[in-house]
Amino acid sequence: MASLISITRRRALGLFAATAVCPVQAATPIPATWADTLRTARGQTVYFNAWAGSERINAYLQWAAGELQRDFGVKLQHVKISDAADVVKRVRTEKQAGRKDNEGTVDLIWINGENFAAMKREGLLSAPFAKTLPHFQWVDTVGKPTTLVDFSVPTEGLESPWGMAQLTFLADRQRLPKPPQSMAELLALARTQPGRITYPRPPEFHGTTFMKQALLEHAPDVKALAQPVTPEALQLQAAPLWRFLDALHPHLWRGGKQFPQNSAAVRQMMADGELLLALTFNPNEAANEIAAKRLPATVYSWQFAKGTIGNTHFVAIPYNAPSKAAAQVVANFLLSPAAQARKADIDVWGDPTVLDVARLPAAERALFQSAPRAGQLVQSSPALPEPHASWVDALEKEWVRRYGV
Amino acid sequence: MSLQVGAPATDRQAVNFLWPALLALVAALPMGWALWAALVQMADVSAWQALWADPQTWRAWGMTLWTGLASTWLVWWSVARLLAHGFIRQKLAKWLPHVPALLATPHAAMAIGLVLWLSPSGWALRWVSPGLTGFEAPPPWPTTQDPWGLGLILALWLKELPFLLWVAATQMQREDLRRRWQAEYAVAQTLGHTPMQAFAQVVWPQLAPRLRWPLLAVLAYGLTVVDMALIIGPASPPTLAVLAWQWLGDADLALQAKGVAAAGLLTASMAVLALGAVAVLRVGLPWPGRMSWIWSAVGVACFMAYGAVWFALAVGSVSGVWPFPQVWPSLWTGDAWAQVMTSARTVWTTLGLAVASASLCLVWSMAWLESASHRWQQLLRPAWLLPLVLPSVLWVLGLYSLALQWRQEGQWLGLCLAHAVMVLPYVLLALEPAYRAVDPRQAAVVASLGHGRWRYLVRIKWPLLKRAIASAWAVGFAVSVAQYLPTLYVGAGRFATVTTEAVTLAAGGQRTLMSAYAVLQMFLPLLAFAVAAALGRPRQFEKIGTMKDRT
Repeated sequence: MASLISITRRRALGLFAATAVCPVQAATPIPATWADTLRTARGQTVYFNAWAGSERINAYLQWAAGELQRDFGVKLQHVKISDAADVVKRVRTEKQAGRKDNEGTVDLIWINGENFAAMKREGLLSAPFAKTLPHFQWVDTVGKPTTLVDFSVPTEGLESPWGMAQLTFLADRQRLPKPPQSMAELLALARTQPGRITYPRPPEFHGTTFMKQALLEHAPDVKALAQPVTPEALQLQAAPLWRFLDALHPHLWRGGKQFPQNSAAVRQMMADGELLLALTFNPNEAANEIAAKRLPATVYSWQFAKGTIGNTHFVAIPYNAPSKAAAQVVANFLLSPAAQARKADIDVWGDPTVLDVARLPAAERALFQSAPRAGQLVQSSPALPEPHASWVDALEKEWVRRYGV
Repeated sequence: MSLQVGAPATDRQAVNFLWPALLALVAALPMGWALWAALVQMADVSAWQALWADPQTWRAWGMTLWTGLASTWLVWWSVARLLAHGFIRQKLAKWLPHVPALLATPHAAMAIGLVLWLSPSGWALRWVSPGLTGFEAPPPWPTTQDPWGLGLILALWLKELPFLLWVAATQMQREDLRRRWQAEYAVAQTLGHTPMQAFAQVVWPQLAPRLRWPLLAVLAYGLTVVDMALIIGPASPPTLAVLAWQWLGDADLALQAKGVAAAGLLTASMAVLALGAVAVLRVGLPWPGRMSWIWSAVGVACFMAYGAVWFALAVGSVSGVWPFPQVWPSLWTGDAWAQVMTSARTVWTTLGLAVASASLCLVWSMAWLESASHRWQQLLRPAWLLPLVLPSVLWVLGLYSLALQWRQEGQWLGLCLAHAVMVLPYVLLALEPAYRAVDPRQAAVVASLGHGRWRYLVRIKWPLLKRAIASAWAVGFAVSVAQYLPTLYVGAGRFATVTTEAVTLAAGGQRTLMSAYAVLQMFLPLLAFAVAAALGRPRQFEKIGTMKDRT
């Protein structure tokens, strides 16, 4: 009985909200099917399984939940997880147990890379939906091609882009006034300041990215990296990478014999003064951390002059999500200029948008303007595409064999 | 009464058999199912081949064996010495009330606290830099994450020592044993043995076998620990448990299978080492002839280390920018505590689950210990204690498929049962020794006075066991609070507890948040231990009895 009452109340709220149509939707013709989606979604609950390692991200999702409840009658429930792979495993176990199309426990998952590749390969995702979302039209698929290709795996509409990430370095200006602009300069720096630089141990995500960045800068033929890896290609393309790492490692923290477990440990050691620089995938992390008083205001961010590896993170709907319509409404809301602008705001989260801001109507474009913050990336460099996904495993195996034991 | 006497013997046997069989079934069904699901996953030949082909496996396995065995040996050795010290100087009763605070300290918190002190940029060096050392920047010393695993051994030793000490001390505080051992110890001294010799030859050989299962739990923990190893353990290669955890956490099925095989290898190692450990228990320990002041120093140092770790966590939880070599942070922030406040409502979910699963396990354990014959108990004890020694990741996947089969995923009841499976061994372990120590003659006396069994239980036996029952419940409560993976999987993320909040936020690696949440994680178990201590207080007439004893 109680649930019935609450549903009717939600409906009433929703009807009220529908009269106050938000401006972006007014500018966009809503397809009939989308209206159906909105109707079905009303009153549904979306269990959004999302990494919760940052209080800012959690607070942002709380804000989104309030908006979604008010405007669409959709209840967004943030299921806090520490690793998306756990969710992949859960959905996989549900499929093995014979759970049908609407009998799952996950409606929406924050995902990219190998987790997405695994879900796509094993048929754990629902039908393609991303391109039918009304706000998808503003996505910068040309300038940010990774919104359609996730670590070289085509998304085919199975996941909807949410935010951008690009390898970025941070350091304290007082201790490192002139940042290295390439891997070669990094090696030169390591030689003059031995023991003050390191990277997380692959297969940790950031560590592997560091290695891929060095590979992109040293491979004789970068185009070969976009193809699936072969033993011959690995030998040919990666040989200069190993020569580079062989030269670099003796000058690293702990003589390159030990590596930190993750990028958070590297950042902490940088903050404590044990290391010169740290690395991150969020170009606004330094600004965030300065705002949170965890890094001094003298910390700055930069990307290598010729570019660093970049990618996109997405949201996807599992095959057995009970609230598929509402999950699409959430994905669409997360793509809206208002939500994307708020997300990009350094005071809120500082996650770069996937939208083409220049193409947006003036009113929405204005949402993205904010005053520069201490630590913010001044000059962004080109985002280099990730090598084909098959390279990751081959590189990590070889790294472990050479340096990991 | 006459009815019972007149009943045919076969009927009574059937009743005696029925209850334990039912109880065994209730517990064995979910555990057996989960275990089977875990074992099925292990039977993948290619995964085992991949495991042996991995260049890290051998070194990581060696590192695991070294850290696990060394820390367990150290714990065993120092517990023996500390107990001797406490027994001879009659300090056990004074120590015991302080131990739960040490027990309630989360493992990861201990590791973080130690790193805050010992790392090259840690407090130990900040206090003396640059004044004494001349260091303007942290020196390149491998004081944490050292390649020899010494930091991990230290952390494990500090964290497991109170556990074993507590289990042992509760044994020695038992009225029957305490009196008997005191008497025997006095006899040995009369015969000219030093206090240390008397303890080593009379008390310890009787106490040590009773600590077999708790010791195995310490060993299992040392071999399979992941969170501490990640924070303070060696990284190249890490321990096998960390590798297994990384592989199991991968989305790639082949890597996951390799992780399952690694967990299987850990389990097999545990089984072999368990046999070895039992053999070592028979051999005994080398004992010094005389009491040494060193051991009171070690006991005090252990307490002080905890104090230092708590202090570091407290400061860490409000520290902002804190560059080396400053002794105090240059910026302070209350953000982490504000965040803890927003998670405060998870306290209620946590509380409900912990109370329910601990109570369930307590009722089951009491029913089991009361109804099952000694032989049954001996026979099935290893089965009930299995969750202690198997890597929890394996259990969790089994439990989740079980929950799916019974359509209990995301349900409170299913989650509570999953917690109960993990809690049961600890409750049983904490309760069993005291339960079995009750003098069976009492029952005979009560029966001869014409009173029924329930009356005996309610009026005599359970009140006598009040302290043991209360502390077994508190231990169960603490174990339930600490569950992360079962809560996430079987609860399908629907139930946020203080631990899921703490672990998911720790994924971001913010030291302030991790420190603040460690305090929140400590809070509930401490509360449970306090409640247990209050409930387990001796009754008034017992107090009078002990007072008389002393005069």
